[in-house]
Amino acid sequence: MSIYDRAITVFSPDGHLFQVEYAQEAVKKGSTAVGIRGKDIVVLGVEKKSVAKLQEERTVRKICALDEHVCMAFAGLTADARIVINRARVECQSHRLTVEDPVTVEYITRHIATLKQRYTQSNGRRPFGISALIVGFDYDGTPRLYQTDPSGTYHAWKANAIGRSAKTVREFLEKNYTDEAIATDNEAIKLAIKALLEVVQSGGKNIDLAVIRRNQPLKLLESKEIETLVAEIEKEKEDEVEKKKQKKST
Amino acid sequence: MATFFGEVLSVYSRAVEEDDDDLDDENEDERIHREIEEKREVHIVWCPEVAQSLEDSGSNTLQCSDLIIAVGTNAAGFLSAYVLNTESWDAVGHVSLWNERSRGSSRQSIAPLPGEPACLFYRHRDNPAVLVCQSTCYIAEDQLFQWTEKVLGCLQKRGLSVMVLSDSPVAEYKTPDYLYGSAVPFLRSLKSSASKGQALCPALEQPNILTGLPAAVLSHCQVHQIPAVLYQCYTDVISPDSITMETYKPALLCLSKLVKLEPCLSADVLRKFAIITEAQSNLYT
Repeated sequence: MSIYDRAITVFSPDGHLFQVEYAQEAVKKGSTAVGIRGKDIVVLGVEKKSVAKLQEERTVRKICALDEHVCMAFAGLTADARIVINRARVECQSHRLTVEDPVTVEYITRHIATLKQRYTQSNGRRPFGISALIVGFDYDGTPRLYQTDPSGTYHAWKANAIGRSAKTVREFLEKNYTDEAIATDNEAIKLAIKALLEVVQSGGKNIDLAVIRRNQPLKLLESKEIETLVAEIEKEKEDEVEKKKQKKST
Repeated sequence: MATFFGEVLSVYSRAVEEDDDDLDDENEDERIHREIEEKREVHIVWCPEVAQSLEDSGSNTLQCSDLIIAVGTNAAGFLSAYVLNTESWDAVGHVSLWNERSRGSSRQSIAPLPGEPACLFYRHRDNPAVLVCQSTCYIAEDQLFQWTEKVLGCLQKRGLSVMVLSDSPVAEYKTPDYLYGSAVPFLRSLKSSASKGQALCPALEQPNILTGLPAAVLSHCQVHQIPAVLYQCYTDVISPDSITMETYKPALLCLSKLVKLEPCLSADVLRKFAIITEAQSNLYT
């Protein structure tokens, strides 16, 4: 490998920061997470990690609340995520106390992204190996979805995916994210599940879902609810196939 | 010698003199070299029947039609799971060697314990001309030539055909294209010019090269015109892993022509050979 990829603080002659690019490879080792911004709802769906037999399942979570109205899902190094989440949570409360207002989603995303960028310009420290999808509602009621990556960049998205098969899921979303598809809350949730089902093996029991509705706190869906929605999606697919068959025969 | 300022200095000669005093030092150097050579020598220890067959044949060689060498834990795991899992294979020998990374037991006659990095030979009971070698220990560069000469020297060249399966980290695969996650692990092949058949996967592209034991074996086969084919599996996992082992499955097509293989494999058998690294699974979420 080239000699410019060891130190974080060294550019290569063609302008690459290899350590940051390698950190993005670490993100791809985490399981998939998808975020959808609806009209009155924001949805985060993740592929559940396989848990060891003796491990407490509920302590292995990819979706974490940062405040009552903001939550995030991450992909990548678990320990790095814990540090970033802790700092973000402290910042959310500090902001409430200082300014007497809850953070906007953009503010807290900018805070996380600035933290990540600092670690790409510091000697002796490596970048954070996580990408995050941050969702929530601002106090004016606007739904937001932001994505950050190890380099410290952040952008707003209508729908996005990070982690192992992010490319496949993103392509699915590009084809299927339409105004009709997110017309109702239920439809937005089903879109998130459909996107994950493209890459998750063995269906609904490996999916975790979280939603925030306007002026309501974060809600983690129970596995029964997810199974019901998956069953609905399967039925819709079958109906589609039936319709197509009938069209062909007439 | 005249110096810059005009004085004359007497200078001691730096010419080496052939003194008797130096002989002892040279002897000591030679002795140390000899000791190191003996320590690093590669020994093959065969089981009594094979040792007997070697003696009985006039040329100290075994009759062998197919030699399958697995280099690396995933290649060895693949052979253990898919080929050596039937009861019809006998362990017939091992290679004992010492280097800084492979401190084998100092006494050659002790066979390595199961699970230890080692170099083991197996022979099929019904078809004794088929030999399998699993090499999971590190063989230093200065020992590769000896290993190859001694092992392949024990086998008759006529009618011999060699297959090598080898693991390699995908970080060492040089390509101008970006490798998407789904492409890894994958196989690439290399053949000696005597090998006629079609390889089961694309050939290894330039500027990638082979190193280590697979390279030594393939070079030997090329020089001695033995048909040999090598399958190199590039993987991004550092420990034995069932998906990487399954990548070698195309090789089963050739192997099934030689020996009877177990048709289907239960997941439990595969899991036995793959280490599910708990640390790895908690590192990334």
